[in-house]
Amino acid sequence: MKIALFSDIHANLPAFEAFLADLDNRKPDAVYCLGDMIGYNIWPNEIINEISRRGIASLAGNHDQKTKGYAYELVSAENRNYLTTLPAHIKLEFQLNNDHLNLVLAHGSTRSIDEYVLEDLDETYVRDMMIEANADILCVGHSHKPYSRIIKSDGKIYRAINIGSIGKPKDGNPKGCYVILTINENSSAMTEDNVQVEFIRFEYDVERAAKAIEESPLPDELADRLRKAF
Amino acid sequence: MKIALFSDIHANLPALEAFFSDVELQKPDAIYCLGDLVGYNIWPNEVIDAVRKRGIPCIAGNYDFGIGRHSDDCGCAYKTDEEKALGKISIAYTNEVVKDEQRAYLRTLPANIRLEFQLNNDKLNVLFVHGSPRKINEYLFEDRDEKSMLRIMEGADADVMCFGHTHQPYHRILPTEITAETHYRHAINIGSVGKPKDKDPRGGYVLLHIDENSSIKDKASIKVEFIRFDYDIEKAAKAVEDSPLPNEYADMLRNG
Repeated sequence: MKIALFSDIHANLPAFEAFLADLDNRKPDAVYCLGDMIGYNIWPNEIINEISRRGIASLAGNHDQKTKGYAYELVSAENRNYLTTLPAHIKLEFQLNNDHLNLVLAHGSTRSIDEYVLEDLDETYVRDMMIEANADILCVGHSHKPYSRIIKSDGKIYRAINIGSIGKPKDGNPKGCYVILTINENSSAMTEDNVQVEFIRFEYDVERAAKAIEESPLPDELADRLRKAF
Repeated sequence: MKIALFSDIHANLPALEAFFSDVELQKPDAIYCLGDLVGYNIWPNEVIDAVRKRGIPCIAGNYDFGIGRHSDDCGCAYKTDEEKALGKISIAYTNEVVKDEQRAYLRTLPANIRLEFQLNNDKLNVLFVHGSPRKINEYLFEDRDEKSMLRIMEGADADVMCFGHTHQPYHRILPTEITAETHYRHAINIGSVGKPKDKDPRGGYVLLHIDENSSIKDKASIKVEFIRFDYDIEKAAKAVEDSPLPNEYADMLRNG
């Protein structure tokens, strides 16, 4: 089963359109959005309309809850309604090989919508949080810095994945980023093998997204951040 | 947020196509499938591919679990010897026609999906299972003892539980007293797209409405809409009759 996970679109329509074209070519079996559809650019409604038109299962991000400021006030009343009722977490429980494998999706962390789970966050802290959320695999967004890390503890494998950002990467690579997670019939929380994490980077018209910011009341600095990915 | 929930398609492609046309008009914000894509008709691969193509999150039904493992047991609770004999033909036929790629998909479907909402500074857990949280093939009928139903939901930490498997849709609200306050849990059977068993041969699915005031403390704050849609039943029934599957399954489609 090929599961596509994406987040942090941040109202960047050129990036989102390029993502959809790339996604449709890869034919995943299921698609989830981990939040932050809006903020930092001018197309929040276009993003929300397409995500809900496709019926994509989505989580709330911290920006999806913001209402004040130019980028957030662009959101239509109907779309605001949609954003305020998004779930905080989605949990999938697999039962393969007579064992359980729990995949937990959150925006920031399972403890807080705006907590950063960075790659170098203390191992014990991350493990404890995953145990508390009953997660064997934890996928988050929010930091816009993709990674996949494995924490071994008591013979178990805890896998934490940051899926990167579609519309506002911050890892020095201006291309958009999302993840395809492949679960096969031998996937297990006891071994490192049999779970495949693929980071997909795709080109998009960065200039178009940057110019849209410069021609809007938003700070020009945000355009530069798109060009340089910081 | 309007969430469309459907299940128990059972390889009935005309019903699934009619469902997709109908649900598109309803404009749901998210769509989930609660399993049993295959069995009892001739289009298991086409049904699997139609769900996959749309990237719809789907959980395993008991029939999917059996076929995914190339088992001759679909976990179906056939009562009579006749039903058992017919069931054997269906599972053997389905095992024969399902292709490797589609079987691998069935095999790796999750058993359940849980949505954790945080509205009004309170949590609201919505759980999707095929049969029950305890067992993929447990039947949760409408007349089940209230205490037993509540125990199952409390055990699974589910405020709203949606399931299929019986092909008989219902919505039950289950009140519990918690420190001088009444909490309401919702048990929702979403019916069947491709093999209804409630005397109405039309396909059925559910729209679950969650709004910003949805809460376990207000029983009217979670709304459930049961949708029925027409489809080309004759096409589905004839396909059964023109196949090695028992003709009884065609009549069941015609009579619901």
